[in-house]
Amino acid sequence: MASDDELSLLVIVVDVNPIWWGQQAQREPEFTLSKCMDSVMVMSNAHLVMTRSNKLAIIASHCQESHFLYPNKHWKAGDFAGDESSCGSRDGKYELLTVGNDLISEEIKNLMERTEVRGQQTETLLAGSLAKALCYIHRVTKELDAGQEMKSRILVIKAADDSALQYMNFMNVIFAAQKQSILIDACVLDADSGLLQQACDITGGLYLKVPQKIALAQYLLWVFLPDSDQRSQLVLPPPVHVDYRAACFCHRNLIEIGYVCSVCLSIFCNFSPICTTCETAFKIALPHAMKAKKKKLKPTT
Amino acid sequence: MFPGRSGLKVTGGWVLMDEEKGEVGNLVWAGTAMATSSEEVLLVVKRVRQKKQDGALYLMAERVAWAPEGKDRFSVSHLYADIRCQKISPDGKSKIQLQLVLHTGETTNFHFTSESSAMKDRDAAKDLLQQLLPKFKRKANKELEEKNRMLQEDPLLFQLYKDLVVSQVISAEEFWANRVSMNSVDHSLTNSKQEVGISAAFLADVRPQTDGCNGLRYNLTSDIIESIFRTYPAVKQKYGENVPHNLTEKEFWTRFFQSHYFHRDRISTGSQDLFAECGKLDEQGLKSMVGQGVRNSMVDLTSLEDKSLDEGYGISSGPSTSSHNKTLKENSNAAIIKRFNHHSAMVLATGLRKQDAQNEQNGETSSTDGNSKDSDFFQPSVKKVKLQEAIEYADLEQENGRKPVALNLKKSDRYSHGPTPVQCQQYATSQDIINSVNCIRHEIADYTPRLTQVLSSSTASTAIAALSPGGVLMQGGTQQAINQMVPNDTQCELKHLYVAAGELLRHFWSCFPVNTPFLEEKVVKMRSNLERFQVTKLCPFQEKMQRQYLSTNLTGHLEEMLQTAYNKFHAWQTRRMLRKT
Repeated sequence: MASDDELSLLVIVVDVNPIWWGQQAQREPEFTLSKCMDSVMVMSNAHLVMTRSNKLAIIASHCQESHFLYPNKHWKAGDFAGDESSCGSRDGKYELLTVGNDLISEEIKNLMERTEVRGQQTETLLAGSLAKALCYIHRVTKELDAGQEMKSRILVIKAADDSALQYMNFMNVIFAAQKQSILIDACVLDADSGLLQQACDITGGLYLKVPQKIALAQYLLWVFLPDSDQRSQLVLPPPVHVDYRAACFCHRNLIEIGYVCSVCLSIFCNFSPICTTCETAFKIALPHAMKAKKKKLKPTT
Repeated sequence: MFPGRSGLKVTGGWVLMDEEKGEVGNLVWAGTAMATSSEEVLLVVKRVRQKKQDGALYLMAERVAWAPEGKDRFSVSHLYADIRCQKISPDGKSKIQLQLVLHTGETTNFHFTSESSAMKDRDAAKDLLQQLLPKFKRKANKELEEKNRMLQEDPLLFQLYKDLVVSQVISAEEFWANRVSMNSVDHSLTNSKQEVGISAAFLADVRPQTDGCNGLRYNLTSDIIESIFRTYPAVKQKYGENVPHNLTEKEFWTRFFQSHYFHRDRISTGSQDLFAECGKLDEQGLKSMVGQGVRNSMVDLTSLEDKSLDEGYGISSGPSTSSHNKTLKENSNAAIIKRFNHHSAMVLATGLRKQDAQNEQNGETSSTDGNSKDSDFFQPSVKKVKLQEAIEYADLEQENGRKPVALNLKKSDRYSHGPTPVQCQQYATSQDIINSVNCIRHEIADYTPRLTQVLSSSTASTAIAALSPGGVLMQGGTQQAINQMVPNDTQCELKHLYVAAGELLRHFWSCFPVNTPFLEEKVVKMRSNLERFQVTKLCPFQEKMQRQYLSTNLTGHLEEMLQTAYNKFHAWQTRRMLRKT
């Protein structure tokens, strides 16, 4: 059967920014990182149970590092010999799931223990985590047997805000994912993220801002569990309108119509006779020559 | 199919007639006559019946018409341009008739009933028509045929024609105005067809068949004859000399095939043979060809010789020029090989002779052959270029292009900023940060997954409600594609509407800027055409859509386009009025 031949790999990138989650714990005690990790575990278990050949990876995106929660480097599926603490499943669960869950919880604990307080690093290293996810997918693809095909997608659960410094890396990751036909889905807990909206639009994934955080598990299972083939048969939330307006180089305002230097392609909101980026001089002859330099900036798709 | 001009309806007027002869001078028609007010009548034939009515047939300068007895209105009138051909009834029949067949396929029958001169009348009419029809025929025919062809080839054009011209939205002339110019371009392109070459085996294709008693039948088609004439101009010359004066064609070809010229072994048997001269000419031609040789300095044919390596390897080539040593068999082999070579050279030369035949008047075989053209190709300059190409490689040359101007960026970090605003979202004090981190650390240190208590049913159902169609998160989505909701024939009709509207709008907008009075007229006409289109085509379509309860606005864009055109016309008109006053 065709479904036996095609593997499905889901990589979940969880934003575990300790500052945001710490603040969140103070704001809303009923939904904390523990609850979030529980929901993620439910989702990952469901994914593994859907088909025997499904694969999973979970990456925690911290402000200091990106760490693989699952699978462990030293652990191979089916190798339970190294596990002294948990011998077998306690509640009759599928052993793989038990071991997986234990592994995830242990890893997140270790990660949080390692957290150091650094003033400058308060932003989630999301671009890095996505890059690691892409590399992992690439590695797994290479290790497939001949004739096996794999479809992969990345689910990003985002908590903290976008980091402006990571923009370039982010866009590179998005385009690399698009080239590899890897979907990027986004589940946003707090504030809308323009970058993730673009990522979902470009790669063909789904973007969802959950209205109720405590129902996170339900949203994950309903919207993000089906893979791309099944999504075409389901009625899912419609795609959001993405704001593709560019920001001008001088003020970082989002503009719709602007001036573009023909030499260095930098965008300005006002006309100036010298481009500040490449120092090209533009001749101003007459007032109506200014109109000739104005180029309409359409939202790029 | 093509709306021609309707017949001239004459309400008043008189005809000067000569009762005896039936010939008339100039006529003047008063009353509501269109176009021509005076027509020259060339022939009147009385006692002509049409559709069982007596009357008279009038042949005018541009048309033929028939009026019933006693009336002065023509009930039948056909322009010569509309008539495709005329037919007459066979001589033996009792009824003497003349039939006119129009381009549209209609036929009109005229029965000549005069007791004394029916046949004469009919023949007079027929002769006159025979003279007149060709004059008008050629002009109209080609155009109509061209238009017909275009409509048949392009179904979209045909549909457009039906929509616009047949329903009287625009006239046929406007429709064809832009397209007929395309005609003449196409014509000239299709005229330059490639010439069909000659198959080298054409003589062999004339396979003779035995016809029972010791004879042979050769089937000659005109293609083969043409091939023979083109390859061997000498034969053509003989043909021209002898046929039809001395020999019939059949006899000529019989002699041709009987002569030894045609046969395998060309042993010259004397000069009684018609074609002995041809054989001699061929020999001369071959000698001259060989004498010219191949003047391509890049090719050395003489080095291609059979060289024997050793006993048993290859053939030792003896001296081939000494003829007295050759056996009879070798001689005939050599003769055949010579003939084959000559034949191939002649076949090849036919392609090149085409141009020369136009320049020269004589048809000498030896003057034109393939070799001369070849040597022309290798003039010194051409040779130089070829040598140059062979020794130089462009990408091995040194780079000597101009150096491009380097891009000098001063503040390149601007590119790495995305459309994220520069102001920080939330400022967290260092105390906040420390608190948060400690808090989260404590929490996770005690973390055990409790997967059975992740979701309560009430929260789950709220979430599901939000995700179901009509829920909070599903607004503005899952619209059905329009092409699934609208039936196919409506889609087709809409497409036709768009094509027709596009055509009309194209005519309209091409009038601007309005410089000439012709364009002024045209723009006014197009405006009325657009209105007519809207009334006759668009409004019924909209009504039909409403009746079908289709809520999508399919014609909004069309209406917008038409409205823009109207606005532009209005603006132009007001500006014109202002200029005039």
